[in-house]
Amino acid sequence: MSLLYEYRVFLFSGFVQTLLMSLVVALGTTAVAILLVAMLQSKLRLVSRLGYALVEVLRDIPLMVNVLMVYFMLPLIGLGFGPFWSVCVAISIWGGANGAQILRAGLHSVGQGQRETAAAFNFGPVKTLFLIVLPQAMPVILPPYISLMTAVVQATSLGAVVGATELLRAGQILIEQTTIMRGGSPAYLVYGSILVVYFVLCSLISFVGARLEAYYQRPYRTDASRKIDARAHEIEATVQTSA
Amino acid sequence: MIDWAYIWAAVPDLMRGLGMTLIVSFLAILFSLIGGVIGCALRVSPIKPLSWLVAGYVEFIRGTPYLVQVFFVFYGLPSLGLRLSIFWSGVVALSLWASVFHIESFRAGLSSVSKDIRNASASLGLRRWHHGLFVVLPIAARSALPSTLNTIVSTIKNSAYLQAIGLVELTFVAVDRIAYEFRSIEMFLSICVIYLAVVLVVSTLGHRLERRLDRPYAGR
Repeated sequence: MSLLYEYRVFLFSGFVQTLLMSLVVALGTTAVAILLVAMLQSKLRLVSRLGYALVEVLRDIPLMVNVLMVYFMLPLIGLGFGPFWSVCVAISIWGGANGAQILRAGLHSVGQGQRETAAAFNFGPVKTLFLIVLPQAMPVILPPYISLMTAVVQATSLGAVVGATELLRAGQILIEQTTIMRGGSPAYLVYGSILVVYFVLCSLISFVGARLEAYYQRPYRTDASRKIDARAHEIEATVQTSA
Repeated sequence: MIDWAYIWAAVPDLMRGLGMTLIVSFLAILFSLIGGVIGCALRVSPIKPLSWLVAGYVEFIRGTPYLVQVFFVFYGLPSLGLRLSIFWSGVVALSLWASVFHIESFRAGLSSVSKDIRNASASLGLRRWHHGLFVVLPIAARSALPSTLNTIVSTIKNSAYLQAIGLVELTFVAVDRIAYEFRSIEMFLSICVIYLAVVLVVSTLGHRLERRLDRPYAGR
């Protein structure tokens, strides 16, 4: 424990990087997910087919391969941003594909009749989406989406593999240094503490997410919300909710 | 632009890597399914402390990054007196991770069996284990199957993380060759195709099984 206290500044700077990366991948994931779902909903067959293929392929490739691939390949097309951004890009693409799957299923869960009624009231596509479809889709989308958010936050630990100095990499450096200088590996202590830090971080996200879910579930009675929960679980079973 | 001859020359290496990926995944799937059954039994058992213990374990594994779990098992456990080889560290870490999702999906499957069915078997005079084996299991297995298959596919995909502790599986082979020969396009193209193929085969088999199990319900 005294070891962790001694290197608190170094570890904390790693933690700040992890938080920063988490923020970037959360926003990036959402952006990519919206883009992909827009492609899926496109009237042009070619675009929607391409979107479908992208979502399926990206979901089937292991996240580790995705991260390494982006790290090695981006410089080849002249986009060498360093490990931090390449990891962010890789995780956002992977998360975005899973997010698109969630959004598509969530939007699909709102019946066609709702859209037709909205059209009958002369609502445009934007008004229909934001006033009619999304409020009903949100309770279904949110539970799996919150799980996906914790997954992309966990995925930032992959930065250590390509050398972005986030929490896990900071821990590795600390272990290497101590093993060389003092002998005896503090690995269990350092990795154990990192596990606890991530656990607290992800619990926090789940907690805030649960409050948000409750807010969107307010208009529904118990039996209706049980159905919504079942639908949300079904969607969650089709995406990877941990990394 | 793509050097096909290079890919062809790398095929034997890649296949050895794929073999390792499949062996590790197979063992992890096996152990995690066993762990899932045991964990689920403890989770729904009336002994509260055991149930809480499993619930805590599930929450902890789900709430922490898999890569850190792998490092903890491989680098951390030896100083606590448990030294595992790279291979077994990988199998253990992967099994621990996957079992959590199996526990959750089995539990969800069990909860899909309504209380009325229990009363129905009781009134038919079925023994407890008959009721469990011939009534609850078929219903629960059907509803747990989709998420179980998803976890199995994720287990195969997550075996790629084990390259980080030096297990010579598919991803490790590719990255190792890139480090010496810089043919990143060829190597990543190959392993992506291989992973896609494996995932597609496994999920197709899974869908077949789902359809097979759905036969009694066909037409509903």
